[in-house]
Amino acid sequence: MTRVTQAIVGNPLREPSVVARRYVAYSLVFLLVLGMSYHLLVVETDWARMGSFSDIVDNTSSLLPNLSFVPKIIVPLMETALIAFWGTLLAVILSVPIAYISATTTTPSMLLAFPVGKAIIVGSRSTHEIIFALIFVAALGLGPLPGILALACRSIGFMSKTTAEAIENIDRRPVEAIVSTGAGAVSRFLFGVVPQVLPIFLGNAIFQFDINIRRAAILGMVGAGGIGLHFSEQMKVYNYSNAGACVLAVVTLVVVGEVISNRLRSKLIAG
Amino acid sequence: MTDGIQALYRSHQAGQRTKQFIKFGVVLGLLVFGFWTVRLLEIPMERLLGMFGRLGTMLSERVFPPDLVYASQWTILASMVETIEMSLLGAFYGTVITIPLAWMAAWNVTPNRSVLYPMARAIIVFCRSLPSLILGMLLVSIFVFGPFAGVLALTIGSIGFAGKLMAEQVEAIDMGPVEAIRATGAGQLEVFFYGILPQVKPAWIGIIIYNWDARLRGSTILGFVGAGGIGIHLREQISLLEYHTTMGIIVLIIGLVIISEAASHVLRERLR
Repeated sequence: MTRVTQAIVGNPLREPSVVARRYVAYSLVFLLVLGMSYHLLVVETDWARMGSFSDIVDNTSSLLPNLSFVPKIIVPLMETALIAFWGTLLAVILSVPIAYISATTTTPSMLLAFPVGKAIIVGSRSTHEIIFALIFVAALGLGPLPGILALACRSIGFMSKTTAEAIENIDRRPVEAIVSTGAGAVSRFLFGVVPQVLPIFLGNAIFQFDINIRRAAILGMVGAGGIGLHFSEQMKVYNYSNAGACVLAVVTLVVVGEVISNRLRSKLIAG
Repeated sequence: MTDGIQALYRSHQAGQRTKQFIKFGVVLGLLVFGFWTVRLLEIPMERLLGMFGRLGTMLSERVFPPDLVYASQWTILASMVETIEMSLLGAFYGTVITIPLAWMAAWNVTPNRSVLYPMARAIIVFCRSLPSLILGMLLVSIFVFGPFAGVLALTIGSIGFAGKLMAEQVEAIDMGPVEAIRATGAGQLEVFFYGILPQVKPAWIGIIIYNWDARLRGSTILGFVGAGGIGIHLREQISLLEYHTTMGIIVLIIGLVIISEAASHVLRERLR
């Protein structure tokens, strides 16, 4: 009996209407991709100017790094790493109060402080670092300082958001135990919340530093210090092999930063 | 008995003292490092103190109110659509390339540990290590000004971003079903489709949507180096020192990003 019904009904996933709907969905996605590809890659792209395949190979090979340029970019490279470090540190410090007011369990006021915290998080996360850098360069002039501030503004959102989520997900019992001793809000936060959140917070800070190295590398394009300035200068004077050296330096810095941050984070998780 | 307790207390105190000493050392080291940085980078501290006044006047006089009449022009809106298209296409092509790469870059199920695994890992690391704007600039110089370079840059960015996350998900799967399917004599592709894919599908869908969200943020700025999208107007208005219209475009971008975040949140909830 069951076998017969199974044979008739079959796998519910194979029901004709379900299959038909799935094929319609796939073909719609396919048509959408096709249409967008046609618009962007055929209509909007100037294929005549792209040149032949050998032109493209020529252009690519002109980017091969000129290693004699490397000594000149070591200081800007260090500057980039320092911008990333101080921007991250500033964001880490500033994110603590913002996380405190934008976590539903610790916020002093749901009506006043909470929306302010959320607005800072959304604004920081949805604005590109280049835009922050432009604002700070206009206010402060050229140099690494606007770069540090731009990175800090950009990173506050991520740090506060993840920290606020961690605060909301903590074990409430230690906090209640501390409340029952008659402790005030400050010691409740310091001894009940901070020890539970700290490992997550430090892990995220290291992760953010890793991302910020990448971000710091491009800030120089708008005059906010670091290697990006040298890269865009060399591109503007069509000195592609020197630009290639800058790219090589950036890639090395990013890979080294990633290896270090992976080591640190696995150490943090282990002990 | 009391001696033992006192000894314990003393050693505890000594431990506390060393801990405090280490903390003090770390803070001191950071301060010294900070002063050294200020010297090396030649940071003008007096400008930092005068910054808030200047930021205030700049924001109140030159930036606000954002010029939304300019930002709702047809050309600007068409560029916004182009930006969205670029992000969708870059994320789509990136995902299509990433799926096999993530499979090859997962140590536990990779089809070939001596050749394909290191190759896939190297591709992912390389794609991750190039910041998107530098990549966009390079691709514009190699190919041509326009959205082609932008889509390519976003595709490469997607491979680096999604590749690592997706490979991590594959490495965390339960090997039981994979071994069961292997035991039936199935080939590598069948193992992938029936043993691996069903296990990682929910996580992968989440990563793919998250990746699109990240690409959308990236695509708003790629036009800065001529790689298509709204960024070209941003650059134009900034170089004309038209801060009101610039702010209008920025408001448009922030609105788009907030909408995309809400959309990806809804999509993730529905597909779960």
